[in-house]
Amino acid sequence: MKDAARPYLYLFPTLAVLAVFTYFPLARLVELSLRAPGVGASLGPWIGFSGYAKLFANPLFWRVAGQTLLYVFASVPIAMAVALALALLLDQPLRGVGVFRVLYYTPVVMPTVAVAALALWMFNANGGLIDYLLHAIGFAPVPWLVDGGWALPTLILIAVWKNVGYYMIIYLAGLQSLPRAVLDAARLDGARPIVRFFTVTLPLLRPTTFFLAVVALVGSFQVFDFVNLMTQGGPSNATNVLVYFAYQNGFEYFQLGLAAAVSLVMFAMVLLILGAVAWAFNR
Amino acid sequence: MIRRYASYAVLVAGLVPLLLPLYWMAATSLKAKREVFTAVPQWLPAHPAWDNYLLAWTAEPFARFFFNSIVVTTLIVVLQLVLASLAAFALSRFEFRGRRIIFWVIVAALIVPVQITFIANFMTLARFGLLNTYVALIAPYAASAFGTFLLRQAFAAVPRQLEDAARLDGCSGLAFLWHVLLPLSRPTVLAFALVAVVTHWNDYFWPLIVTNNNAVRTLPIGLGMFVGQEVTTDWNLLMAASIFVSAPMLLLFFLMQRYFVQSQLHTGIRG
Repeated sequence: MKDAARPYLYLFPTLAVLAVFTYFPLARLVELSLRAPGVGASLGPWIGFSGYAKLFANPLFWRVAGQTLLYVFASVPIAMAVALALALLLDQPLRGVGVFRVLYYTPVVMPTVAVAALALWMFNANGGLIDYLLHAIGFAPVPWLVDGGWALPTLILIAVWKNVGYYMIIYLAGLQSLPRAVLDAARLDGARPIVRFFTVTLPLLRPTTFFLAVVALVGSFQVFDFVNLMTQGGPSNATNVLVYFAYQNGFEYFQLGLAAAVSLVMFAMVLLILGAVAWAFNR
Repeated sequence: MIRRYASYAVLVAGLVPLLLPLYWMAATSLKAKREVFTAVPQWLPAHPAWDNYLLAWTAEPFARFFFNSIVVTTLIVVLQLVLASLAAFALSRFEFRGRRIIFWVIVAALIVPVQITFIANFMTLARFGLLNTYVALIAPYAASAFGTFLLRQAFAAVPRQLEDAARLDGCSGLAFLWHVLLPLSRPTVLAFALVAVVTHWNDYFWPLIVTNNNAVRTLPIGLGMFVGQEVTTDWNLLMAASIFVSAPMLLLFFLMQRYFVQSQLHTGIRG
């Protein structure tokens, strides 16, 4: 074998899989979104952007997009803030700190389906433990998943519960790689802990925060499992999100072109937001 | 001293919302049906109803789903390790035209999840008659951009001199990858493999898209079907099923927790 060909040979399987299942599908989605539905497996004539025009004229699409953004921009910052607080606590030389790290990470390794089943039971209007505990301290039961105003916040809460351990470990890794000398110098200067945090620790953690924000944003846009298992997008679309909306259009209403357009609009939104985050962090 | 106690207090308080649901899941799974709905929550089942687990296990073909999950997860992770090792080897130890651009083509795939491409991928697989097969469940995940990236970082850290020394000993090419690079990158390989096992064992979305037949359905799909049927009635059985679906990953995590935590330290996120 010629030496010059070897690296290409080693790269070929990976590139082939990515070409078939990542990059070709993107092109295919573009085609689907620009052509009329055909008969059977074939596609109809090219229709330009009229599919997108139809999508943008649908108020439900805007509602779903807005709810997705609300979900992403509520669950990500909340989970990141809680995770950072936990990581700061767990970065101290305390006895038993390893046990806490393990326990806080546990929900991360659980299947979303199991978490959804558990959450359906905990938040259940009939016999759910959470309403009982609220009642015990004098609060009225909350219509967690059955009320249009409460359902999305409930899903956000569940997402925070599931993800916070993962974000915590990443922050912990970031904290442990900070230059000790700088932190010690700040401590010797006698600055109060809260001042030290905002003037020294948080700025030093910037690369970690950036990495985590990217991972968390990309991951949160993919929200589907909890919606499909717990609310089916309801009540009356109050928890419908973009991936679920694309899934409904594609597999329930067989509107593949519309579904493809939804997926691509979501992809564009992710790219835009990642671009904005990258710009904000690298200014 | 006070700060230390305050830290413990906050950490313990934080565990309540975290562990209480998990405790409630376990307690419910062992309750008799009449103990599930009570005016006052019953914190402990009067007599642990272990046969709930048997009832749940046989309520759906969970044995079949379990088998499918093992086959699919194992094959995905093995393929990812093989393909990622080869690609990372090329990217880290060879000079060739297009290296930079190929690296970025691979890394960019990280922001194109299957939640975006699923409609096109579904159509590709349908066209080749591959829906409801192991191939459909495995093929889209055979390569891992994340794994390739991690292994490339690890391989690149192995000093050049080692490669020259190995070559003098007659160890080059794939032998060098197998006998030197991979053993030296063990923590990264292990960390990536663990993350991949958990990700694909737990995956719900993609198997939902390409299966509608019990012969190939995986555990999360089976549990999802159970959720659809059992809601509002047999919470004890549903919680038992949720536990046995989660158990392999919880066990793996508690046994290997050191590596899970390390995995984050090996992801090259330190700036």
